[in-house]
Amino acid sequence: MSKRQERKSAAKVVRKQLAAERRRKRTMWVSIAAVAVLVIAGLIGWGVYQSQRSDTGPLVAPASATTTTGETVGSGPVSIRIYEDFLCPFCRQLESTAGPAINDLVSQNKVTVTYNTVAFLDRASTTEYSTRSAAAAGCAADGGKFKEFHDALYAQQPAEGSAGLSNQQMIDIGTGLGLNGDTFGSCVNSGRYQPWVASVTEAASRAGVTATPTVLVNDQVIQNPTPDAIVAAVNAA
Amino acid sequence: MSVTTLTSGVSWPGIRPWLGTLVRLGLAAVWLFAGAAKVGDLAGSGRAVNAYQVMPFEVAKVIGAALPFVEIALGVLLVVGLATRAAAAISAALLLVFIAGISSAWARGLSIDCGCFGSGGQLAAGQSPSYAPEIARDIGFLVLAAFLLVWPRTRLSIDRWLEGTNE
Repeated sequence: MSKRQERKSAAKVVRKQLAAERRRKRTMWVSIAAVAVLVIAGLIGWGVYQSQRSDTGPLVAPASATTTTGETVGSGPVSIRIYEDFLCPFCRQLESTAGPAINDLVSQNKVTVTYNTVAFLDRASTTEYSTRSAAAAGCAADGGKFKEFHDALYAQQPAEGSAGLSNQQMIDIGTGLGLNGDTFGSCVNSGRYQPWVASVTEAASRAGVTATPTVLVNDQVIQNPTPDAIVAAVNAA
Repeated sequence: MSVTTLTSGVSWPGIRPWLGTLVRLGLAAVWLFAGAAKVGDLAGSGRAVNAYQVMPFEVAKVIGAALPFVEIALGVLLVVGLATRAAAAISAALLLVFIAGISSAWARGLSIDCGCFGSGGQLAAGQSPSYAPEIARDIGFLVLAAFLLVWPRTRLSIDRWLEGTNE
């Protein structure tokens, strides 16, 4: 091989190395940019969540509830905490099977029942029925008709995946129970208690509640909340 | 090599970049669906993360809000084929975290839904968790990510276009 040929092939090797180096650098920068895009996407998500929370209005609790817990019924010494969603079929089943037994315990003044009406299933309706219905129940509590309205919503429970009851349908149910059409209607339509529903739902998750219905008697979860199991737990408490 | 391609029409080096394109779009679809299912209910996404009981609630809320957007961004990177190897590596890492999370929920006897494609992490009463199918599905996705990690060069990608411009 002549000197000239050697120089030529050496230059070729150098050129190849430089090209490889350029490729390596480009891949590195593209990868760094991609990671930056993902980090920014995550930050946007957090920002969107924060703005959604502050958009919904002030957090106020309806009558007989606190900002993190649901409406209470009765004033007995033993506490029953129920976590339920107005759209959840098993909650309706709980209401129809164990509901009468719980009502009896209330009327015997044995228990105080807290109905934590949470919105776990907002995605299971097209109109966030879980949030709207629980907020409407808060409006009914202000009018002194929480339990009646609660029972009526379960009696007319819409199917999962549907649009749920409209605000007007819920207002009609309320006025049918004797609630004032103007105050109840504007409370339902303005979504006054929707921030409260979000707060009760968050508190439920914080407390480790991952399923509806969940029934606790004096803070003990009743695994299979049949009427007998609930009554037995109350009597044992 | 080129002779083989010409004569047989199908060879591993010939079809691999196209197969890679399919794999890339498949994995992209997974992330886009997973992100889209959760993005409409960020609070629910946070509850789903919290249901695993592996981090404080406040942290779970942040992860839950950020995750759908990260998933969608990953999906977009894979659709256009930009930084394919990095996207595949992050996909694989995320999937390993998910598999570990589901396994640990299973091992601790928690009764939750994985929340992978929405649904907020809670099971309906009487519904039993389906951890094994969820893990099997994630392992399937992990295979897609591994393919792209090993062979990130695919057709119809921005990566390939960038490659072409500098040479």
